Amino acid sequence: MIEILRRMLRSPQGALGLVIVGFILLVVTMGPWLAPYDPEKMAPLMRYKPPSAQFWLGTDQYGRDILSRLLHGARATVVMAVVATALGTLVGAVIGTISAFLGGRSDEAIMRTVDAIMSIPSLLLALLIVNLLGKSSLNALLAIALAFAPGMARVTRSVALAVRKQDYVNAAIARGESAAFIVGREMLPNVVAPIIVEMTIRVAFAVMLFATLSFLGLGAQPPASEWGLMVSEARRFMHLSSWMILWPSLAVALVAIGFNLLGDGVRDALNPRS
Amino acid sequence: MSPAYILKRILLIGYTLLVVSLIVFAITQILPADAAVMMLGENATPDALAALRLKMGLNDPIWMQYLHWLAGVLRGDFGLSMRTGQPVAPAMLEALGRSLLLALFSIGLMLVLAIPLGIIAAVRRGRAADLGVSFLSYVGVSLPEFVTATLMVLVLADWLQWLPATGYVPLTEDPLRGLRHLVLPVLTVSMILIAHVSRMVRSELVDVLQSDYIRAARLKGLSNRQVLFKHALRNALLPTITIVALDVGYLLGGVIVVEEIFALPGIGRQLIVAIQARDLPSIQAGALIMATTYAVANFLADVAYAWLDRRIQYD
Amino acid sequence: MPSIHRRDFLAASAALSGLAMSGLQAFAQTPRRGGTLRVSVDQAVSKLNPLVTRVNPEYLVAELLYSGLTRLKVDMSAEPDLAESWTNSADLTEWTFVLRKGLTFHDGSPCTAADVVATFEAILDAKTASPARQNVGPIAKVAAKDDNTVVFSLSAPFADLPVTLAYTNAKIVPAAVIKGGLEKLDRQAIGTGPFKLVSFEPERQIVVARNEAYYDKARPFLDKVEVVVFPDVSAEASALIAGDTDLISTTPPTEFGRLQKASGIKALRVPSGQFCNVNFGCDQKPFNDIRVRQALALTVDRAAMVDFVTEGFGSPGNDTALNPAYRFYADLPAKQADIAKAKALLAEAGYPKGLEATLIASDRPGQRTQLAVALREMAKPAGFDIKVETMPHATYLDQVWKKGSFYVGFYNMQATADAIFSLLYTSNAAWNETRWNNAAFDKLVFEARATADEAKRRALYADAQKLMYAEVPSIIPAFFDLLAARREWVEGYQLHPRGAVFRLDHVSLGANAPKRG
Repeated sequence: MIEILRRMLRSPQGALGLVIVGFILLVVTMGPWLAPYDPEKMAPLMRYKPPSAQFWLGTDQYGRDILSRLLHGARATVVMAVVATALGTLVGAVIGTISAFLGGRSDEAIMRTVDAIMSIPSLLLALLIVNLLGKSSLNALLAIALAFAPGMARVTRSVALAVRKQDYVNAAIARGESAAFIVGREMLPNVVAPIIVEMTIRVAFAVMLFATLSFLGLGAQPPASEWGLMVSEARRFMHLSSWMILWPSLAVALVAIGFNLLGDGVRDALNPRS
Repeated sequence: MSPAYILKRILLIGYTLLVVSLIVFAITQILPADAAVMMLGENATPDALAALRLKMGLNDPIWMQYLHWLAGVLRGDFGLSMRTGQPVAPAMLEALGRSLLLALFSIGLMLVLAIPLGIIAAVRRGRAADLGVSFLSYVGVSLPEFVTATLMVLVLADWLQWLPATGYVPLTEDPLRGLRHLVLPVLTVSMILIAHVSRMVRSELVDVLQSDYIRAARLKGLSNRQVLFKHALRNALLPTITIVALDVGYLLGGVIVVEEIFALPGIGRQLIVAIQARDLPSIQAGALIMATTYAVANFLADVAYAWLDRRIQYD
Repeated sequence: MPSIHRRDFLAASAALSGLAMSGLQAFAQTPRRGGTLRVSVDQAVSKLNPLVTRVNPEYLVAELLYSGLTRLKVDMSAEPDLAESWTNSADLTEWTFVLRKGLTFHDGSPCTAADVVATFEAILDAKTASPARQNVGPIAKVAAKDDNTVVFSLSAPFADLPVTLAYTNAKIVPAAVIKGGLEKLDRQAIGTGPFKLVSFEPERQIVVARNEAYYDKARPFLDKVEVVVFPDVSAEASALIAGDTDLISTTPPTEFGRLQKASGIKALRVPSGQFCNVNFGCDQKPFNDIRVRQALALTVDRAAMVDFVTEGFGSPGNDTALNPAYRFYADLPAKQADIAKAKALLAEAGYPKGLEATLIASDRPGQRTQLAVALREMAKPAGFDIKVETMPHATYLDQVWKKGSFYVGFYNMQATADAIFSLLYTSNAAWNETRWNNAAFDKLVFEARATADEAKRRALYADAQKLMYAEVPSIIPAFFDLLAARREWVEGYQLHPRGAVFRLDHVSLGANAPKRG
């Protein structure tokens, strides 16, 4: 673990990724305490203010402090994306491992169906699912998890196929263990490491997807201060104040860049090819 | 690559589309509101609802409705839009045309920029140019389309007033204005593609340039230029094709957002409008058309890959 | 922000001078004939059949292609359209309308009393699902006395019939079409309106050309009107600024500032009775307790609400459905926020520790959510813990509308006091969203509609407004001004406070207007 961290710090991407993600985690945990104002406090006389000493990033259409909203919104934006990825990974890992374990025709059938589902672009699939479940943060989270699951199933299967051929699995089958035991106790634990790498890379994508859903009005709902939603709301007032739209856009970008860098760093650290 | 392989791939596309059609139909049918209620809105009376349900076949069992719908789809008939009462298929295909225009321009721009950028970065590995390209590609890959689009509108349309912020003019009506309206959407869509593909080209090219085969070519006394363009590039670009095909998926997702932001009446925007209005036939048609496009793009990429791969082996 | 009194004056003077102003214009120069007007709308024109149109852009197109018996002037009174005159029985239960002679539909067939009768029968048939059914008045029977005379027998005395017959959906269509199936009008237009349909692309553009057989030989002045659909309000404003379009039918406050600053453009603004409200289910806990409703009303800072919801382009409301844009508006003292009193009322109602409630807002138009979010904050100090839930408009219509106990509504201005009251607040209202079911209020409204005497009616409506003011069946915190814009070369256009009426046949183009196909 320490070795991996050291390797990550040596590559510029890994180091920068760690710094940015570390900063983001700080904001996620400490945000509400750092915020100078109540993120929902309205001030009719303080609307559309540009950045100033009083409001560092300016105010929005209700006169709310944008900085405070960003700091509070970090949780909604980042934690949701991480949880969605984890959930999607879990579902995908189970499907992939089962498929690999079963092998033969079942494997073929499951994988063809997974391929078919993968031919729906993830944003579109997420849109359809949210549309079905109703729009809310939780449903957006489920939608992203479901949209990620097929891809993760594919990755897991290829890893699990290798594991399947190992002696200890054959031994378990010879012992007459149940399928559930073999998949859950023998195979899944051994496919975890490569999956974690894949997951880190996907968090960045989940952040983008989640913010995009909120931007389209299908994720977080007002008065939440989720960043995608903040951009979406600010769009209507663009001709009255541009600052409102600038800051949450930059915040989303920063998070996505951070996780992308971190994901690449982790990958390079885990398989030092070059 | 044998005919059997192609046949198998085509059968797979068929299976894919069948699964997609089931998913799409299922999702749209379990929607928590009756289609007839949606259509009549504030003026729904029990009588009017009953009459409309009968007309739309909403009283049939669900599998009958699916088969009906599927039969229609196979004939190219996706039904009537609940929002406009017009046939869905022509409207969606027209919208698809506008989206393809956007996609083609974007892919074109990507090819023009991404490959040279990737080559420069690979050849100048570790130097300023490489770092610059790397940095840009990180930013490009990381920015969601709605952020890129918003920032570009803010700077290029709002502050500098160089380009129109939103809207669409058919190229046939006024080519110049049409193109001006396309600039920002194309830039937004191609941003992620350029970032992704240039990174890909770079890393493939770096690998190839280090291979024994290239070293051998260098030892034969070929110039850097010859090595690069005659041998290395061809091998490096091959995997890129697959990536481009996979990117069509991103592209389609991106198109949804970009069209929504720039009010470009392509298939993505039609889909969003349909989703907001719960216009089921349009949602079904839009989703199915998009998935088909993606599946066909993947298939073509596979075939192209296999074909090119064989040629290179025999070369 | 200008004071209410100034607004009041503006509204009144705009209403009174409607005629005088058009007279003035005629005096300055007679309208030029010819040219193509390009007017933009912000939503698709999905429905062409005038009996079932539902949104303003559809009304705009229907008005170009079809005529009613009467039409609504800018001062909300009725003027002759297909009917050239009308009379009523003394008890206001029988109205006789005389049609113009020689009227023809666009297909050349004559338009007679039989068509009028068939049209109203179709409207009153629930299967047609026409919004007009609940808005044209208490019509019991329509009969043709001869080819040019139609008699309306009403189920109750009703003074406003000429105005309600001008309702957006009460357009006359051929009896033959009704017989053969109204679907025919989904794609083509067979009306008696000032223009004929040339092309119809619901999502993009609708083109109409002058109807040479229109009953008024002077109008329309324009050769052609192109109705262009812009699904994006920002692009719509940009197009007007660039000179690609001539007229924006309606624009949001967020674009208005930009239009005001642009050169060559006249930004238009008119006070209107359009409002956004918070509906209470007065038959369900906790809002069946009048004190809870009054308490919430007392938390609202109405001046701030005007800013939040209308960006300052509106006026504060007093929880009554009428504002100065209506003829029978009664001037009541402006309601002020009083948190202490709100708290006391809430405690008295049995909620000393405060009250939790979920306020539902559909996502269209955006003002609904803005109102909900602002109310949530304003009500906090008094102990209200409001959770805002937004949902797609279609889901809202299906699950919440008319059923929910706490949600945000949004309504166009209606032509008369009776129309808005009996659309929303009487016990037999078409959309009885609040289930207030107040017998005293019903009686006042019913009496007023049966009264021809202006002063008596005014007194009755004043009492009705006082009841709403006191009992708060819904919180009406703000009214909207309607906003639009035109190029300076567009002449004769008056922004109509009703929001659903456009009267483009009165518009002409100045000499410096660009020539368009």
